Amino acid sequence: MNETITLAHGSGGRQTNELIASLFKKYFDNDLLTADDAAVLPRPEGRLSMSTDGFIVSPAEFPGGNIGKLSICGTVNDIACMGAKPLYLTCGFVIEEGFETARLERIVEAMAKTCKEVGVKIVAGDTKVAGKGQVDGVFITTTGIGVIPDDVNVGGACAKPGDCIIVSGDVGRHGCTILLERNEFKIKADVTSDCAPLSSAVDALMGVTHDLHVVRDATRGGVGTVLYEIADQAGVGIELNDRDIPVDETVQGVCDMLGLNPLYLACEGRLVIVAPSEYAEDLVKALRTSPYGEKAAVIGQVTESNPGKVVMKTSIGTKTILPLPGGELLPRIC
Amino acid sequence: MSDVKKSAAEKAAEIIQNYDGPPIRIMEVCGTHTHDIFRLGIRNLLPENIRLISGPGCPVCVTPVGYIDEAVWLALEKGCTLCTFGDLIKVPGTEMSLAGARAKGAKVDMVYSPVDAVEYAEAHPDEQVVFLAVGFETTTPASCVAVRKAKEKGLSNFSLLVANKTMDNAYLALKSSADAFLYPGHVSVLTGMGVYERLRDEHGMSGVVCGFTGPEILTALAVIIRGLEKGEPFCANAYPRVVTEEGSPEGRALIAETMEPVDTEWRGLGVIPQSGLKLRDEFAAFDARKKFDVPNMEGRANPACRCGEVLQGKIRPDQCPCFGKACVPEHPVGACMVSDEGACSAFYMYGGEQL
Repeated sequence: MNETITLAHGSGGRQTNELIASLFKKYFDNDLLTADDAAVLPRPEGRLSMSTDGFIVSPAEFPGGNIGKLSICGTVNDIACMGAKPLYLTCGFVIEEGFETARLERIVEAMAKTCKEVGVKIVAGDTKVAGKGQVDGVFITTTGIGVIPDDVNVGGACAKPGDCIIVSGDVGRHGCTILLERNEFKIKADVTSDCAPLSSAVDALMGVTHDLHVVRDATRGGVGTVLYEIADQAGVGIELNDRDIPVDETVQGVCDMLGLNPLYLACEGRLVIVAPSEYAEDLVKALRTSPYGEKAAVIGQVTESNPGKVVMKTSIGTKTILPLPGGELLPRIC
Repeated sequence: MSDVKKSAAEKAAEIIQNYDGPPIRIMEVCGTHTHDIFRLGIRNLLPENIRLISGPGCPVCVTPVGYIDEAVWLALEKGCTLCTFGDLIKVPGTEMSLAGARAKGAKVDMVYSPVDAVEYAEAHPDEQVVFLAVGFETTTPASCVAVRKAKEKGLSNFSLLVANKTMDNAYLALKSSADAFLYPGHVSVLTGMGVYERLRDEHGMSGVVCGFTGPEILTALAVIIRGLEKGEPFCANAYPRVVTEEGSPEGRALIAETMEPVDTEWRGLGVIPQSGLKLRDEFAAFDARKKFDVPNMEGRANPACRCGEVLQGKIRPDQCPCFGKACVPEHPVGACMVSDEGACSAFYMYGGEQL
């Protein structure tokens, strides 16, 4: 293999085959991934969930993950949030001419590792190489399919007054990590992205009850944006207890310095769950024993009052509106 | 939070909530206080006879239109690279904001510290770099350090467009706007308590230096209420874990050796004598106005904008005809809607006084 990716690697000829064999086939190999034009899949039982997502994060590698891991987590998590078990993925690469092959290998390796953890197969793929400057490094698009159990019906509009609101871990770490990695503010701090696949966390929740109302992956816009979406979709109010929201100390410190709210920083491995409050304790317990869920907590409840709004109970016992985020917080975060 | 502190905050909250004396007006003169007061929902605790007014303590909010015009001129006419704190980028000028200038090809870079701008200038010798020096006693020392560093390094491509301000005389201009002031915690780290003692002794003005946590703000408000009840002018330090009696004499000396007082315009308030700063003559080579012979710019604010009255507490933000209509954080008409710490922006984001 060459040390860098060249336009020839995307031409469909010998070098393309070489790239596929030495990298993609090597890491993604499974019984359904063939050299044919499309994958042939067994007929699944039940309703399907399907999602697609493009990944253009800058930088492509960051503490706690890289664009490869992110591209699997992103789509797997979207599917899992419909209560589905993810089964198959496809992935499309657009690689910039001159991209280091060793870097690409690290990215592909991370994808394979995450797929293995989730138990999902990559069944088809595509590779394009774009001229220098036409893309920044590497862009990845993944599409996935999963199967939803018959009695599961989740969605933003299903939130009901009285429901509890749970997060599966401390908020805002991915956004904070990317912010620090770009080094625009010259702040040094030890923060690792929360990037993680959440299908086992959803399994753990399903083990408690199938009567979950909303499960959301708090990515761009963070937990705050997700909560506003739910308040809007369901026409309910949401009340949060400031002191119950788990935030890593360092993340909070960076946010204080820059005037940011961790509730609006992106996560890539955090669920927001809305469920009947009688399950609150068991759901938190189940999350805490699942991977990536040790800091899960109940952070508030759904209310009839203040429809469409997210209200914060502050540390001094007052209530305020959680302000909507303004403008562009950070571009190219995932 | 310890139990001891919690109970102090609770006691303070009780004093505030149970106040039943004559109506009082308390002005916070620090943008961070404005933001924190909204964030913590403190206004929702106040009885009707206590009014909090957001004063002119956000550096962005008091930067006059003409200053933005000068910066735009430097960028577009002289091709200078502007280095600025992020907040300033959206502030409207007469014709356009810095964001507007950037769309027309101006080079506007956001920095977190004036020293970053010096480093940028050093790394880009082909560019003329102008740092937009705004702010109060909290940021002025860093601008002074930057200009001294540039001089030390012999940089000929770095200068400051200075609009730094000092609070002392601004308090006097605001005397009739409030019965007592929440004095700014960060500024007081530099000034110490002397300025507030002079305001008390020579001008009969009252206020309390205030920190930034919920309990600290509640405590400072309670101290103000008790002080006003006694009827004598007073000042107190309710942020002693950070602010000392003498402040930072070194910081004040650094400023005094680098800059000198000058009459200056505050957006919405007009010219306040000796409330601004300019570079001393020995640093004239780093004064962008002199270096590029910047013409005098009057600057015309949008006539419908009533930021000035908001900053003096004469009207609430939502009493301005632009508020929430033409003027929202995404496209501000007045400076108070630009920064998170601006009175109008905080009022808008947190949905007004009451839930």
